Amino acid sequence: MRKLLSPLLVALAACAHHGPADLAPLSLPPDSVVLPVADSAAAVHLLERFAFGARPGDIAHVEAVGIRGWLEEQLNPSRLDDAAGDSALRQYRLALRDPADLYADYAPGPPAARADSAARRHQMEGERRLAGAVMMSALARHIASRRQLLEVMTDFWTNHFNVFMAKGADRWLTADFVEHAIRPHALGRFEDLLVATATHPAMLVYLDNAQSVAPGSHPPGRPALAVMPRRGFAPMFPPLPAPPRAEAGLNENYARELMELHTLGVDGGYTQEDVIGVARILTGWGVAQPRRMGVGRYAFEFHAWAHDAGSKTVLGVEFPSGHGMDEGRKLLHLLAEHPATARHLSHQLCARFVADAPPDGCVDAAVAAWRRTGGDIRAVLVAIAASPDFWAPENRAAKFKAPLAFVASAVRALDGAPDTTARLVGALQQLGEPLFMHLTPDGYQDAAADWLNSGAILTRMNLALALASGRMPGVTVDLDRLAPVTSDYDALVRNVNAAVLGGQGSEHTLQVIRQQIGDLPNAVNARAMAVGLALGSPDFQRE
Amino acid sequence: MSHDVSRRVFVKAGALSLVSLGFDPLFLGRTAYAQRVPARGPGSKTLVCIFQRGAVDGLSMIVPYADEWYYRERRRIVVPRPGSAPDAALDLDRRFGLHPRLGALKPLFDAGQLAIVEAVGSPDPSRSHFDAQDFMETGTPGDRATRDGWLNRCLAHDREHRDTPFRGVAMGPQLPRALQGSAPALAIGDLQAFGIRAPEPARDRLTAAFEALWSGAETGIVASTAAESFEAIRQLRAANPAQYRPADGVAYPAGPLGHALLQVAQLVKADLGAEILFVDVGGWDTHVNQGNGANGQLATRLDDFGQALAAFARDLGERMADVVVLTMSEFGRTIRENGDAGTDHGHATAMFVLGGPVRGGRVLGRWPGLAPEQRFEGRDLAVTTDFRDLFGEVAARHLGVAQLEVLFPGYDLSADRFPGVLA
Repeated sequence: MRKLLSPLLVALAACAHHGPADLAPLSLPPDSVVLPVADSAAAVHLLERFAFGARPGDIAHVEAVGIRGWLEEQLNPSRLDDAAGDSALRQYRLALRDPADLYADYAPGPPAARADSAARRHQMEGERRLAGAVMMSALARHIASRRQLLEVMTDFWTNHFNVFMAKGADRWLTADFVEHAIRPHALGRFEDLLVATATHPAMLVYLDNAQSVAPGSHPPGRPALAVMPRRGFAPMFPPLPAPPRAEAGLNENYARELMELHTLGVDGGYTQEDVIGVARILTGWGVAQPRRMGVGRYAFEFHAWAHDAGSKTVLGVEFPSGHGMDEGRKLLHLLAEHPATARHLSHQLCARFVADAPPDGCVDAAVAAWRRTGGDIRAVLVAIAASPDFWAPENRAAKFKAPLAFVASAVRALDGAPDTTARLVGALQQLGEPLFMHLTPDGYQDAAADWLNSGAILTRMNLALALASGRMPGVTVDLDRLAPVTSDYDALVRNVNAAVLGGQGSEHTLQVIRQQIGDLPNAVNARAMAVGLALGSPDFQRE
Repeated sequence: MSHDVSRRVFVKAGALSLVSLGFDPLFLGRTAYAQRVPARGPGSKTLVCIFQRGAVDGLSMIVPYADEWYYRERRRIVVPRPGSAPDAALDLDRRFGLHPRLGALKPLFDAGQLAIVEAVGSPDPSRSHFDAQDFMETGTPGDRATRDGWLNRCLAHDREHRDTPFRGVAMGPQLPRALQGSAPALAIGDLQAFGIRAPEPARDRLTAAFEALWSGAETGIVASTAAESFEAIRQLRAANPAQYRPADGVAYPAGPLGHALLQVAQLVKADLGAEILFVDVGGWDTHVNQGNGANGQLATRLDDFGQALAAFARDLGERMADVVVLTMSEFGRTIRENGDAGTDHGHATAMFVLGGPVRGGRVLGRWPGLAPEQRFEGRDLAVTTDFRDLFGEVAARHLGVAQLEVLFPGYDLSADRFPGVLA
């Protein structure tokens, strides 16, 4: 009970920004956590999984401070100065304006204005600009921020609690969702994260809970909606009795995904009756919207009138009637604490950090840490990093990068930076992973089988060539610092291996690159080709 | 136990199934082109699968207007009885009517090229999109351990085929589960952009460089995927499918489905040996404001869907004699409309089968009825045709697959279970 109420109430009451500064300091005493020595191969492995790949200097830094030291830095993100991330974000601050203001400025006008094609074009152009800024506000920080583990986990949870930016008000709410529901809790407690997502308007809109009301209920001061006359009814069929259901009612969408995807997992042992029970408990969890342009804000709002007043049962637990919003709080606690949730989430984290089909050992270690700490995400990550499975040779360079990892790590390897446009998101679009545009609530998949196919491999090669030759729209790179132009092609290949492949390029890859540039008279072309082939090599697709 | 299973399958279907059942797909690698035979040449069969992702409301596509419960359970989202209103259903057989915005398909139905199977779906009760899509694509409802897709096993099973990487193609950036597995399959977002993009002569040079880089470096699925890519580049450049423009008077609707089907038609006309083509189309998860016969999001989606299919059939013309289009969706939607003038996840839905070989003009499948006691779990349209019966019939009678147990392991499927779309 103690654990149930206090953090929940804090999280529910506050719409204020929770920065990573809210995390308590965490240290990893050597006697409690065993981590290997940081040779360069281990450093590369760590940076490929716990960061979006290495920027120049990162591998040396891990070797200098050690695996433990680097993890401690990353697990305490507020201690890391992040001017780079802040400055990257500044380019796309449009995305982080208040959702109500975005609504006021970007929503389609009245139907009369929409009929005007120039106004319509202008409106669509605005929406595109906003969508680009929202995507870039995430991608630019994944690339630039020094708080890499926070970025990796922000991406992980954003995908876990997927919302679709093109659905209704989520156009204005998605960046706010990432900023205020996901990011502050990405390294915090899972239950806080769950509550933050459950109460954010973006999720309430996306999975329709904002529209789910107790059957027969209606807002105070308004009569129940009249039954609409049915159009086109042939007179030979007499009107039938009204269905037992009122015009507005229960919507199961969020209830189902809350259990199937967000917490218990599809094998978590719930039934259709539980889905209905959860939907009934969450009736009334709704959204306050701007009343008209410029007036009012988007916010979570509990509508007591819409709440199902009956008693409910979920997973065998009684929810006596008459407890209003507390029923939902109790439900989220029940789900967050459930052993099936610990296992489901541990499995997903290990699939992301260790292997597509994670070995039992690391999953068990993650579950143990989860249960021991009540779902402290940092403790689970430490358990994964310390598990022998994470460091096992068969799990190194064994994952096929998802498109986001490919794009972010390629730009990072070349010490590149997005320009002020949003064109870099086009690369993610081409590779099939446009951010916040996954329609269904399962989010993007993370296994090789989902990304490894012929078309996608060619797209990666094309992007690699574009990046290496400075033709990639939306990003600037400076190859001169990494791999200076030289007619000594052996030295060039060595530099490219160190910069792009973390010094881990296979003999075959390095040989082919050397052969392919051998007869190029122009040293600038040779460098572009060497970098392009390295970024488009099978070595670089693995992490 | 797994030993018994693998031995049994091995004996029945050979080593291919070992791979395709996921025992070691990543490291054994894909079935290479090793067992090639000469081209079968013109007249070979093509199957086009269209997956309506998100669970389409079958009761709106094919309106059961003679079932009084349809009008009792739906008010704001109904399609009126044929002839009763301008936006009424288009009568098919005095029991069912086509959604008026699917009107483009009506001439195909009347001409006997289009059959409809009602109340088809999965024996698994899941109402999860992701589970149900997976089950429909792996062909093993209830078994989440299957990694490869039934269409891929279809490709792997038929060893007598042309030497081409285009036997299985998904139009889009990703390979769907249905086409994942040991047999080579391609994902192509855009036929014209497929390949290394650089001006000549740098293009050939770079293509060769990447091919050298990938061919020797990797084993297993990465190597074979890369090999398929480079082979496909060569063949696409030779065949240039973009030269095939739509037939006179055919206009595909703007939008992803129309674009995908235009490219499917180009692949078929280019004779690249495409046997199984796969297209995704989304937007069917109509929980809120689904709309009725005239307007709304479902009507808009159906209009695009019907126009695209009709354009495809007209574009291919006589070539439709060797083509079957099969539509599918993971499940149907609730009989009763929900509180938001939408529908929630249900059970059975309706599927279309279109093409020259189809015995169309009929609504097939036993109608289970919409009355409460006739429903699945008291609320949804019951499944009377297992989706494997329909898919199996198309695979057997159109593609000539002899061993259906390879496609649908553990399912005892014989011709008497076929709904009869092709015979």
